[in-house]
Amino acid sequence: MSIPVGHYQYDRVDRDFLQARIAEFEGQVNRRLDGTLSEDEFKPLRLMNGLYLQLHAYMLRVAIPYGILDSRQLRKLGEIARRYDRDYGHFTTRQNIQFNWIRLEDTPDILRELAEVDMHAIQTSGNCIRNVTADEYAGAAADELVDPRVHAEVLRQWSTLHPEFTFLPRKFKIAISGSPNDRVAARFHDIGILARPGEDGAPVFRIFVGGGLGRTPVIGEELFDSVREEHLLATLEAILRVYNAHGRRDNIYKARIKILVQAIGVEAYREAVEAELGQMELDRYRLTPEAVAAIRARFAVPLLEAPDDADAVLTQQRRDDPLFDRWVRSNTHVHRDPGHIIATISLKPAGGIPGDATSAQIGRLADLADAYSFGEIRITHLQNVVLGHVRKDRLRDLWLGLSEVGLAEANIGLIGDIVACPGLDYCALANARSIPIAQKLGARFADTALQAEIGALRINISGCINACGHHHAGHIGLLGVDKRGEEFFQLTVGGQAENGAAIGTILGAALPEDETVDAIARLVDCYLGRRENGETFLDTLTRLGHEPFREAAYETV
Amino acid sequence: MKRPVRLEPGQKLVLTANRLLDGRIVWWCEGGTWDLHIGRAALLDADEAEAVLARVVAEAQRDGVVGVYDTAVQAAVPPEPVTVREKIRAHGPTVHPEFAVETEQ
Ligand code: HEM
Ligand code: SF4
Repeated sequence: MSIPVGHYQYDRVDRDFLQARIAEFEGQVNRRLDGTLSEDEFKPLRLMNGLYLQLHAYMLRVAIPYGILDSRQLRKLGEIARRYDRDYGHFTTRQNIQFNWIRLEDTPDILRELAEVDMHAIQTSGNCIRNVTADEYAGAAADELVDPRVHAEVLRQWSTLHPEFTFLPRKFKIAISGSPNDRVAARFHDIGILARPGEDGAPVFRIFVGGGLGRTPVIGEELFDSVREEHLLATLEAILRVYNAHGRRDNIYKARIKILVQAIGVEAYREAVEAELGQMELDRYRLTPEAVAAIRARFAVPLLEAPDDADAVLTQQRRDDPLFDRWVRSNTHVHRDPGHIIATISLKPAGGIPGDATSAQIGRLADLADAYSFGEIRITHLQNVVLGHVRKDRLRDLWLGLSEVGLAEANIGLIGDIVACPGLDYCALANARSIPIAQKLGARFADTALQAEIGALRINISGCINACGHHHAGHIGLLGVDKRGEEFFQLTVGGQAENGAAIGTILGAALPEDETVDAIARLVDCYLGRRENGETFLDTLTRLGHEPFREAAYETV
Repeated sequence: MKRPVRLEPGQKLVLTANRLLDGRIVWWCEGGTWDLHIGRAALLDADEAEAVLARVVAEAQRDGVVGVYDTAVQAAVPPEPVTVREKIRAHGPTVHPEFAVETEQ
């Protein structure tokens, strides 16, 4: 088999390990079914294997390391959706996929099917280092300085079954990007890493700690500005050790690293990490150029060849077809190769469920990836899908292919590109439903010409304070709250996940569900009425402050 | 997590859980069986519910269910849960009408 373009190539050791792990889990499932294990005993074991018990059924969360898979893997996910679930899967903001209707007794078989394509569900839950996320344009974007996938893979190998970090105080999420334009929300992760080339050409890493959302949203603080590659693992190891030793275990809501960093201050945290580094045997953790090169060799490099007129062909096609032009405007990004382009495929059809894809669509995406992008697919942290290396002169054919399966929505980065968590329709922890409100908003702003007119505006919806829908980071955020058994939504404005990371400000009292969409429409109208040339929603908000928006939201007719 | 049961007039309690094998939501019926349909659930008064719940919890493993608890319903035919959460549990995700529990056997 040839080496996949986008991700690390498994070998015998990886595959044997997965089989052993599945056999172990199958034994645990059997002991649960015959009553040898109680639910309390079984729960941490199933969570370690990505299996939750949700509202209506078991939910299996499958890891997609740094969000990249190949067409063979994607096709398998489609088959699993068809055979073991109800014909669809849900892509998440952590670049994973979730299946919502799984039977406990089927789980070992599903894990075996996943292992056939080098996939698993390990460390997608529980108090461990979760699947590492990375820039969805990794290895493709023109603005990239360092391809983060190689180091994301280093981190994957380092963190998988790390014996010391299997029982952390709480879950631990790491994201890495190699672009000056943060596309991973680095400052909202337990550890966020931004890579750039150092003076000698080898990468150096800027490291943020203690960011997070949830009930206590915190913007991560810079711990180190320039960690050298050879010390990357030692540094992370030391950060985790300090957290593992001092993070609170008495209160689940105060157990994340962000609480520890807030409690002692980032300077004290840095000193503790430096003290730990001072007594570590650094050679053991040294990341040598040879080790990095060996991992890099497990990634194939796509052969980027395009005809000289590829760009001219695309320009002409855009001129001829305004609908196609609109899609190219919102759904593509500049590739490092002038003959290629990055295409983002929206999983946010107007009125649809954000992040859901049917088995048929998943299969079709795999075919299109084979035809147009070296068989490689990326899942984004905004619940969309990326084909990273599309030849410019073939982009229109791809778009036509996407149109046939309802995947050509032109709304990336626009108001229709809503991020929503599963909410009360699926989630056992929810206060309110997130999906129906996303659907109503999607339908209200269905016209993509109107969306383009409104411009960059991100709406994020969470069904409870756990903030899986990143509502704190939305330009407009919605948080579901429960008032006497009824669904209400609290609105925030001004959140931002990227370079200018900011936590949204609450506008006022929560609104009843049936008034929420109108209130958001009034916010948008307020912006459209008062924006000055070229301003985005955030620009106008910054210039005017919250008051006009608050008035608009609470204006009663 | 046990909250004191305060029923409004016209309300009763039902017992509910997830099935161990497939996680599906089930409701406790007269005679000790579990059913996907809330319409078949046994309606309990607040004063009897505590004892029944204790008994049913003790038999959960044998019955193949997990996470047994009680919840309030309007005592109509079929009974209708009081909270949005339990309504969604009883009828299925609101975003997939084709998965409505009522249409299943
Ligand atoms: C349906 C099952 C889910 C459950 C039970 C669940 C549970 C939780 C909990 C308890 C937290 C808060 C953690 C803390 O602050 O300590 C959390 C945070 C989070 N979850 Fe979920 N979640 C679910 C689904 C999802 C989905 C579908 C996504 C992606 C769309 C997601 C992504 C996240 C993210 C990004 C955070 C916030 C970032 C952070 O502070 O870690 N979760 N989740
Ligand atoms: S934010 Fe709350 S409701 Fe939404 S998925 Fe997370 S835990 Fe569930």
